[in-house]
Amino acid sequence: MTRNKSRVLKVASSIGIAAMLFASSVSIAATSSAAAKPSWCGPKKITMAFTDGFGGNSWRLVTTASGKAEAALCPSVTKFYYADGQGSTSKSISDVKGFVAKGVNAIVVFADAANAMLPALTAAYKAGVVTVPYRVTVGGKVGVNYSAYVGTDFAGAGKNWADWALKNLPAGGNVLFLSGPAGNSQGVEEAKGFWKVMASHPEFKKIGAQPFEATNWDPALTQKVLTAAIAANPKIDLILSDFGPSLVGALDAAVKTGWKVPAIATSDGNVLGCFWQDNHATQPNFKMMTVSTQNDHARLAIDWAIAKATGGKLPGTVYPSYIFEDSVSGKPSAVQCRKDLPGDVYLSAKMSGDDQAKLGK
Amino acid sequence: MSTILGALVMLFIISAIFAPSSVSKGAVLGMLPFAAVLAIIGLGQTLVVQQGGIDLSVAGSVSLTVVFVTKLPDQKDNRLLYAVAVAFIVSLIAGLLNGILVSRLGINPIVATLGMSSLLYAVMMIVSLGISHRTTVLLNNISSNLTLGIPNSIYFAIGAVIVTTLFLKMSVAGRRFEGIGANARAGRTAGLAVKRHQTSAYILAQLLYCLGGVLLGGILTQPTAYQGDSLVLPSVATVVLGGTSLLGGRGFPAASAVAAIFLSQLDQFVLSLKVPYAVRTLVTAMALLVGIALYSVNWGLVKKKILSALREKKVGEISHG
Repeated sequence: MTRNKSRVLKVASSIGIAAMLFASSVSIAATSSAAAKPSWCGPKKITMAFTDGFGGNSWRLVTTASGKAEAALCPSVTKFYYADGQGSTSKSISDVKGFVAKGVNAIVVFADAANAMLPALTAAYKAGVVTVPYRVTVGGKVGVNYSAYVGTDFAGAGKNWADWALKNLPAGGNVLFLSGPAGNSQGVEEAKGFWKVMASHPEFKKIGAQPFEATNWDPALTQKVLTAAIAANPKIDLILSDFGPSLVGALDAAVKTGWKVPAIATSDGNVLGCFWQDNHATQPNFKMMTVSTQNDHARLAIDWAIAKATGGKLPGTVYPSYIFEDSVSGKPSAVQCRKDLPGDVYLSAKMSGDDQAKLGK
Repeated sequence: MSTILGALVMLFIISAIFAPSSVSKGAVLGMLPFAAVLAIIGLGQTLVVQQGGIDLSVAGSVSLTVVFVTKLPDQKDNRLLYAVAVAFIVSLIAGLLNGILVSRLGINPIVATLGMSSLLYAVMMIVSLGISHRTTVLLNNISSNLTLGIPNSIYFAIGAVIVTTLFLKMSVAGRRFEGIGANARAGRTAGLAVKRHQTSAYILAQLLYCLGGVLLGGILTQPTAYQGDSLVLPSVATVVLGGTSLLGGRGFPAASAVAAIFLSQLDQFVLSLKVPYAVRTLVTAMALLVGIALYSVNWGLVKKKILSALREKKVGEISHG
């Protein structure tokens, strides 16, 4: 009996201690979430969805995880759904329709299928869902077809490259620009931004196809295009590319033939940073500058959608182009390379390289 | 064979005149590794087409192989052999399944191999989530370094062509294989194991795609997980340009390999032409049209028709006069 009594006492006291611990941890959690609650996170409880036109590569994986992490900062978001269109326009459309039918309050859409997504987005908007396409323009109008379009300043990337080139190649030179599929709007805008600055600097000359050489952002095609460009142009002084990591195979192959790497202005990627670290000592002309590859663009789109749906403070709708690395000035950052992480980790993203590497495991 | 060889020589002459940089040493050395990969994959496709089939699983197969040989070793050379072995075993299974679906279950090869491609992509996504990895130094050296001034991958392609040709033209099994391709019903009547030979075509093809994929994984330092996508149509084009009929029958492995060089040089030529993108696409289309017309048009008949039309015209003119 006494034994039993003492056991009851023990159990009771341990429950008491546990309860106290629990209460204190809850209050800690409550204060920390209150302290960290961002301005765009309003009080109204919502559910939301995030859809991708194509989610099957590392850049998208990091971007999606970033979007998810951003939504988790706001306790008003009670549920966060994600769907991958897997490169199919019809699946992307039915993903959007499905989430609207499910009754989400907000939806953020990476509309790879561009204007083909407009009817589905318009239907979502008309059904009262906060509808935010981002990064890819879809046609239509804000307030008629969707709530907001959160774009990025691609021309700003071109301007950043141009400003850097003016500073680091004072004698000017021949400029080769490699972008994705022929006519893609990102490449067109970047080229405009670059050459607008260069309009008063005739010492910089265009070489190769205009506005850019099409590579589909595919390493194999990039390698073929660069081989042809090197053979056709003995003097290349600056290479521009809006997907830096896809350049590395081509550069590697060209270096093997004794070619000298010129200055490069591009977007960041771990593999590219490591290529620079491995080669810059033997390549005197190889200066490099990168703009952020913008995985965090998704965060801004998510912020806007949540702000609108929960009644928080609306952020802006244009994600700027940031300079990430500069091998010459070391500002804002010197060229970064993490040999222990996979090549397609993006060190410019808010999510740490180690966390990105875990996504692929 | 002489047709495609003639076309290749012509293409090099045209390249030298209109885009001399495309035949410079650097450009040719850059083109050859890709030509070698396409040649090896084209050989596989030739074997399948010879049996009256077609293999669209090239995309999934090459992509998966590239993922295996870059992801599994995780940049460690000593794990490369294991990764290559895994890739070959999976290819063997995929080929066997393709063969069974087409020859035993009688499923249309387009449907069966397209399904297989999706299946292989599914495996790829499970293995890598679509994330690509940097290749190992060893594999990069094996496939891209030069031996006697020629990229190593070319030696692999030459080896594959020789082995395939010897098998098809000199071995009993090869002769049976070709005979069944020409006429499966006659083969069956003669007591040959038709289904087994058809299945073997898909298996051998997969092994060749795998070899191509392994080399491609080395040529591209940082490949994507979708590297096979752009190889499906070129693989069929090499077969057609090489003169193997899409209806099956005699196969011309060496000609397919030459056609692979033709297609790769054509790429390099249009890239070096200083013309807008749209014109490049047109030039490629025209060249392919001419290449295919060389085989598919009965030039003797065309000549005869033109001559007889001229003769009739002359006769008409005389009678009117």
